[in-house]
Amino acid sequence: MKGTYLGEFEEVVLLAVAIRAGDAYGAAVVNEIEQQMGRSVNLGAVHSALNRLQEKGLVSSEMGGMTAERGGRRKRLYSVTAYGRRALEEIRQLRNQMWDAIPGTAWGQLNMQ
Amino acid sequence: MSPPRLADRLLCFFLSDDRLEEVQGDLHEEFRWQVRRVGERRARWRYWWDVLGFLTSRFAHKRQPDTYQTYLMSPTMLRNYFRTAWRNLVKNRFYSLINITGLTAGLAVGMLILLWVQDELSFDQFHRQSAAINRLENWAGTGGSRQIWTSTVAPIAEMGKKELPEIKEATRLSYNYRFTLFKYKDKTFNEENTIFADPTLFTMFDFPLIQGNPTNPFPDNQSVVLTETTAKRYFGDENPIGKTLMGTDNTLFKVSGVIRDFPKNSSIRRDMILPMSLLFDQMYKGQTDGLNQHNDFHTFDYDTYVVLQPGASIATLSDKLRTIHLRNKPEDTDVAYLLQPLPQMHLYKADGSEGGIETVRMFSIIALLILVIACINYVNLSTARAMLRSKEVSMRKIVGAAKSQLFMQFLIETALLFSLAALLAFGLMYALLPAYNQLSGKELVLDFSDYRLWRLIGLTIAGTLAASSIYPALFLSSFEPLKALKGKVSARLSEALFRKVLVVAQFAVSVILIASTFIISNQLHYIQSKELGYDKTHVFGFFMRDNMSQHYEAVKASLLNQPGVADVTRASSNIVQIGAQTGDNEWDGKQKGETMFVRPVAIDKDFIPFFKMQLVEGANFAGTPSDSLHFILNETAIKRARIKDPIGKPFRLWKDKGTIVGVVKDFHFESMRKKIEPAVFYYRPSQMMAMYVKTTGQNAPQAVAKTERFYKQYNPDYTFDYAFLDDSFNRLYRSEQQTGLLFNVFAGIAILISCLGLFGLATYTAQVRTREIGVRKVLGASVTGIIELLAKDFIKLVIIAIVIATPIAWYAMSRWLQDFAYRIDVQWWVFVLAGLLALVIALLTVSFQSIKAALMNPVKSLRSE
Repeated sequence: MKGTYLGEFEEVVLLAVAIRAGDAYGAAVVNEIEQQMGRSVNLGAVHSALNRLQEKGLVSSEMGGMTAERGGRRKRLYSVTAYGRRALEEIRQLRNQMWDAIPGTAWGQLNMQ
Repeated sequence: MSPPRLADRLLCFFLSDDRLEEVQGDLHEEFRWQVRRVGERRARWRYWWDVLGFLTSRFAHKRQPDTYQTYLMSPTMLRNYFRTAWRNLVKNRFYSLINITGLTAGLAVGMLILLWVQDELSFDQFHRQSAAINRLENWAGTGGSRQIWTSTVAPIAEMGKKELPEIKEATRLSYNYRFTLFKYKDKTFNEENTIFADPTLFTMFDFPLIQGNPTNPFPDNQSVVLTETTAKRYFGDENPIGKTLMGTDNTLFKVSGVIRDFPKNSSIRRDMILPMSLLFDQMYKGQTDGLNQHNDFHTFDYDTYVVLQPGASIATLSDKLRTIHLRNKPEDTDVAYLLQPLPQMHLYKADGSEGGIETVRMFSIIALLILVIACINYVNLSTARAMLRSKEVSMRKIVGAAKSQLFMQFLIETALLFSLAALLAFGLMYALLPAYNQLSGKELVLDFSDYRLWRLIGLTIAGTLAASSIYPALFLSSFEPLKALKGKVSARLSEALFRKVLVVAQFAVSVILIASTFIISNQLHYIQSKELGYDKTHVFGFFMRDNMSQHYEAVKASLLNQPGVADVTRASSNIVQIGAQTGDNEWDGKQKGETMFVRPVAIDKDFIPFFKMQLVEGANFAGTPSDSLHFILNETAIKRARIKDPIGKPFRLWKDKGTIVGVVKDFHFESMRKKIEPAVFYYRPSQMMAMYVKTTGQNAPQAVAKTERFYKQYNPDYTFDYAFLDDSFNRLYRSEQQTGLLFNVFAGIAILISCLGLFGLATYTAQVRTREIGVRKVLGASVTGIIELLAKDFIKLVIIAIVIATPIAWYAMSRWLQDFAYRIDVQWWVFVLAGLLALVIALLTVSFQSIKAALMNPVKSLRSE
C-alpha cells in the first residue's frame, strides 16, 4: 500500500471530520464518533489523532467559532484536504476490491464447519 | 456547576500555551454536554478521564507551524542574494580586487602543487596487480658495508616460482648494453634505454601490446618488441610487425610486437624490449666454467618482480628465498632477501624508508599552507569590514529574515567570489603550466577528461570555500539588530582577537618559509662548493669504444698538440659517480664472514695528478707492467679495513693478489647525501674506457670539436656523447635544485598573498580611523607619530609570529638536513634574517597606507561623512 499509512482510529476520526464538514472540532468529533459507533472515546486521543492527521497533511485547520459554552474560547476547526479525501477513497476502494475477491464458496465452507 | 478546578490547573500546567485555548474549550463544551446527558457527578469523572488523555508528551510541545513556512531556498530570495552579493563586489572594488587576487593566486598555485603531488602518488598504481607485485632485493655486505641491492641473481626467480607457493608469477629485467646500435634501411640509432625481459613482463604488468601476442611476445631469440614511439622512429607509418632491424655485430632482430609507450608515471620506462633468453644465450654459450642461467648465483644483475599470493607473509617468504640462495651458494652468508611493493618503489628507498615521499609531504603541506593563507585573507577582510554590513543585516532581520537565511546569503556571496577566483585560477594554471613543468621536471597536463583532475579541483575548491565562508557567514548573521543599528558592534574584543590570531598564523607561516628557503639554498650551495678532493674544472669526459681505446696513446699524443687541450687521462668509470662495486676482496686481518664493498676504479698513471688528488702515503702507479699487482686505496677503505701502515701490505681484488702502494685522500664520488665509501684504484689499461680531457677553459669548444673528430674517425656510426664534469656533477643535485627552486617560488607566493591580506587590513584600519587621525593632527600630532600609531598594532603581530615560527622552522629544517651525510649546521642568524625580512615586508605594506592617512589634510578627513 502506497501513500500515508492510516491507523483504524485515524480513519474513523478522519471520517467524522468529513461528516461534520464545516463544524469539525475536537468535541464535535467525539460526539460524532460516540453517536455513530456507540462507544465512548477520550477527547485527548481524538486531539492527538487530529494533530497527527494534520502533520500528515490529510486535514487542515483554522481557529474560529467561539461560543458561551466554551467560556468564550475559540475552536480549532478541521477540514479534510484533497489529499485526505483521496486517502479515504483509496481505503474504500481497497476494501471493495478485497470484498469482491472473496469467492462465493468461502462462506459455504465456513458454514460446513 | 463547573468542571473540576484541580484538573483544569493540571491541564494549564502541563499543556503548551498555544494548545490551551482549543483544548480547554473542547473540554468545557464536552463537560456541559455530559452534565446534561449523564449528570454532574459522572460528568466530573468523565472530565478527569479526558484530561488524563492529554497528559502525553505530544501536548506538552508546541503545535508544529503548518500554514506559513519560510523557505531556505526560495528562488526569489536566491536571486536577491546574488544581486546583493554582486552589488557588494562592485561597490567595494578595492577589497574585491584584493580578495580575488589573493584567492586566485592561492588556488592556482595550491592546485598546481597538488597536481604535482597527485602525479607523484600515482606512480606504478595503474597495473591491475599493482598491490600484489613486489620487487626482490638483497641485503649484502657486513658492518659498515651492509647495503641493499635492487638487482638479484637470475635463478632465484624461476626457483622461487617453482618451489614457493607464495609466488604466483615472476619477471626479470636486465639492462641491455650488448646491443646498442640498430639500423633499418638508412636509419641508424644508438639505443641506450633498452632491456632484456622475460615474456611474463606483458602478462604480469599492464603494458598493453598494440600488436603482437602477449602470451608469446618473443617467438624466438631474434625477436624484439618496440614501443610505439621507437617503432615510428624506424618505420614511420609502415607496419613494423615482421620488419627486420640490424643490431650491433650484424645481429638481426625481427619486430614481433609493438607496445604502447610506457606511461610517464611508471618506474619501468624503456624504448625496446629484447628476449631474456637471448641474453642468457650470449652470456653462457661456450662458457667452460659450467655456469648457466639456472645456477649462476654470482651475477646480481636482474631486476626481479614477483606477484604474491594474497595473504602471503613477506617475512617467511624472504627467509625461504634466503634458504634457496644458501643451498646454491653457501658462502653468501651475508645475503638476505627483502621485498618492496611496486607502488612504493618511486617514493620510498629500497629499504622501505622514506625517500621522495618526504618531498611529496613537504609540498602537500606547502599547498595547504598557501590555501590556508588565502582563506585567512578572505576571512579577515570580510569580518573586519562586517561593521559596514551590520546595518543591512539588521534591516533584513527586522523584516523577518531568519538567521539561517542570512547564513545562506553570505555563503552565496562567498561562493560567488570563489567562482570568479576559481575561473581566473584555471586561466592562470593554464598559463603557468609550461613554466611549472620546466621548473619541476614533470610533464603535467590539464586533462579535463581525467576524473582525478576534477576530484582535485572539486576537493580544493570545496575545502577552501568551506574554510573561508563558514566563520564570516556565522559572524555576520549573528548581529543583534537593535545594537547593530545603534552602531554598537565594533567593540567585540574576541572577534578582533580571532583576526589577530589569523594574522599571526599567516606571518608565522611566511617566516617559516623564508627561513627554510635560506637554509635549503645554503645547504645546496654547501654541497656544490664543498672541497671534493679532486679538481674537475674545465674537464669533459666520454666513454671510448673498443677500437678507439686500442689507439688511446696515439689519440692522446695528437690531442695534446691541439690548442685548448691541457691534459688527457683515462679511467674505467665516471669519476663523478662511480657505479660499480665489489665485495670480492681480501686483506690481512679480514674476519671470517666480513664483507667490505669497495668501488674499484682502473686508472691511468697520470690520473691522480690530472685531477689534483692528494696521496696521503706511498706512491702513484708508475705505468709499468708490475702495476697490475699494485693498489691505491682511499682513506675510508684503509679505515674500514683497519689496516695499519698500509704501504706494502697485501691486498686482493678479485683474482689479483697484490700490494698496497699508496693511500689517496678521500674524495667525493657520489651525491653528498651519502657518506664516502671505500674505493680502490688499480691499473689495467684494457678496462680504462672513460677518457678525460682537460681544456684550457676559453678554447674548450675547439677541444671538444677536435676530440669528436677523433671519436668519429673510429666510430662513425655512434654519436659523440660527452659531458663536462661540472655539468654531470650538477646533475647529481638536479632534484635537490628543483626542490629548492620550487620551494623559493612557493615561499614567495605565500608571502605575497599574506602581504596582500595585510595591505587590505591596513587600508581598512586607516579608512575607519580617518576622522580620528584628522582630530589628532588638528591637536598637533606629528606625521611620524600617526604612522607609528597605525603600524604598531600590525608590527606587534608580526613579531609574535616570528617568535612562534622560529622553533618550528628550526625543527623542520633539522629534519630535512638529516638526509645529507654532509650538511651545514642550522645557524641562528638565518632566523634573525628571516624575521627581519618578514618585518620589513610587513612594515612596507602597512606604512604605505599609514603614510597616506597621516599626510591627509585634516580639513578634508574631518569633513568626510
